[in-house]
Amino acid sequence: MSKKIGRGNSQTQATRRWAWLFLGPVVAAFTIGFVWPFIQGIYLSFCKFRITSDATFVGISNYQAALADPSFQHSFWYTAATAVVSLVLINVFAFAVAYALTQGIRGSNLYRTVFFMPNLIGGIVLGYIWSMIFDGILSHYDTSILLETKYGFWGLIILMCWQQIGYMMIIYIAGLQAVPEDMIEAAEIDGATKWQTLFRVIIPNVMPSITICTFLSLTNGFKLFDQNLALTGGLPYLIQPDGSTINTTEMLALNIYNTFYNSSTAARGTAQAKAVIFFVLVAGLGLAQLAYTRKREVQQ
Amino acid sequence: MAEVSLRHIKKVYPNTEKKRKKKGEPQHRTAHLQVTDEGVLAVPDFNLDIADREFVVFVGPSGCGKSTTLRMIAGLEEITDGELYIDGKLMNDVAPKDRDIAMVFQSYALYPHMTVRDNLAFPLKLRKFPKEEIDAKVNEAAETLGITEYLDRKPKALSGGQRQRVAIGRAIVREPKVLLMDEPLSNLDAKLRNQMRAEIIKLRQRINTTFVYVTHDQTEAMTLGDRIVIMKDGEVQQVGTPQEVFDHPSNLFVAGFIGVPQMNFFDAELVRDGDAYSVHVGDAIVVPSAEKQARLAAHDVASQSITLGIRPEHISLASGDAATLVGTVDVSEMMGSSVHVHLDSLGQDVIVIVPTTEIEGPYQDHFFAGAKVEYAFAGNVIHMFSKDEQGTNLEF
Repeated sequence: MSKKIGRGNSQTQATRRWAWLFLGPVVAAFTIGFVWPFIQGIYLSFCKFRITSDATFVGISNYQAALADPSFQHSFWYTAATAVVSLVLINVFAFAVAYALTQGIRGSNLYRTVFFMPNLIGGIVLGYIWSMIFDGILSHYDTSILLETKYGFWGLIILMCWQQIGYMMIIYIAGLQAVPEDMIEAAEIDGATKWQTLFRVIIPNVMPSITICTFLSLTNGFKLFDQNLALTGGLPYLIQPDGSTINTTEMLALNIYNTFYNSSTAARGTAQAKAVIFFVLVAGLGLAQLAYTRKREVQQ
Repeated sequence: MAEVSLRHIKKVYPNTEKKRKKKGEPQHRTAHLQVTDEGVLAVPDFNLDIADREFVVFVGPSGCGKSTTLRMIAGLEEITDGELYIDGKLMNDVAPKDRDIAMVFQSYALYPHMTVRDNLAFPLKLRKFPKEEIDAKVNEAAETLGITEYLDRKPKALSGGQRQRVAIGRAIVREPKVLLMDEPLSNLDAKLRNQMRAEIIKLRQRINTTFVYVTHDQTEAMTLGDRIVIMKDGEVQQVGTPQEVFDHPSNLFVAGFIGVPQMNFFDAELVRDGDAYSVHVGDAIVVPSAEKQARLAAHDVASQSITLGIRPEHISLASGDAATLVGTVDVSEMMGSSVHVHLDSLGQDVIVIVPTTEIEGPYQDHFFAGAKVEYAFAGNVIHMFSKDEQGTNLEF
């Protein structure tokens, strides 16, 4: 790009002269809306503050507090487990549904729409609806989703699957439809069974879709907040020997939120430090995962 | 190595027209294909016996059912009715992988995520060949096709011609009984196509198998096939050697389809006088050869209006002869060894091929636009077709 602009003919010079006029608004919006708050956020993670204007620098003590917080450690592992289990289930089911719906069965368009629809409902609403459904069922067994960690865990997994499978399915359908019919027929003639065709020919050729979907579901899993808040709000909690509590179904985002707003204002710096750790974690995982699956993509 | 028999093969694509009618949507026009209550009749009744190691070419325009028929042999399309035998065994309900056939696709259909070596080895791996045997067979096929140096590349790093070789390699590596080819050269440029055509001829001499080849290109059909099956609207028009279909086309369609440039057609009168026939076209009278006369007489053909066909290469320039026709030059095309002269004669376009060896000086001096040209043809190269819808060759 820069090479082309550097050629110095009158048109590219004019482009250069006017470039900032057009780039300006976007750059300004991006700076004000993202870059500045991001930098401010990182700065605040090294501060003790109640409101942003009275922040005092305290070094890495917020990070020490954050990492030492048992509820943060618990929510990290809980989030990791949720993200991994949902990643696997969502992608396996989404692919299976997409595969079934691309086999020319009757009414596939209707099914596609139906499967996609949960994605149109907001997370909070979805969380409350499912909490009612789960409690409706669990009340027959004299229990509630708020009483057992495992109910909360699998409840959240079911909710995430229900919400995201349709979305991932659309991406997988697009990927599957791009696999040339001839290639599948060639495999059939070459002697591949349905399963061999699926695993040795189709799946390697839908790796771009798998990359996108696993990336999305992994980061979605780690960032999950509203559904977590609405479904269990982190309950049930566990009282620690020192009297502090751990919300057993609390994911990272909710843990940060609760640290920031529910505890004393003194912990806001800690919440900020947790948020930065959270960002590094999600970005790192996402990029690593992207790099890993990208390698397996093929070009036609 | 196997015989292939197609007995009363029929293919019907289930009808979607009825639903459309109900919904009041405009109906699809399926050009010339019959639409029955069952659906669209793509292939009504196909019969052919392909001998062991024969090279048969299905040729015809788009939508004539040639690929459908090939895909029925492959097992990629269900056979609606009729029987398909490969090596004497009924194959109608046998899965493609168990038919011992291989197929080369127009789009190559290589596996982009595998190297050339893995592409070639894939059918063998699936059949659980021992590793040493796979390696040996892959290397042998690669050598046959001259792709040894590309074995470790992925298909995307190959040119169209190289990809097609890999596709052929994948098909021959497991020595199938029948090798099916669906327009394998259509995606290549003209030069490469000629080269690959020659290679297929050579390949055919090296591997002992039965070939069924589909193309819309009559040159490919003529040069490759032991026998050509000419199809139109799902129906076989003629089956014969290239020479047979060229010299004795069974109807107007075959006459027009085989041969480049296309055969010239004239409205003419066939006159029978006892056992003697003559053809009156324009002011000229042409007497068919004795052989043709005998065939007409054998079929007891009466005097009638006919369509007279003469190939451009069978027309010669003449002057002063009684049985000549006159035309005005419209366009003349220099082809190198010959000139294609388009004449306006008897109210239609007539193409005459004039070898350059017969032309003195620049061809434009003779065949400029508006020049009057006299031409003639002998009685042994004329083709006489009935005026009915089929345009049947009256000698048949």
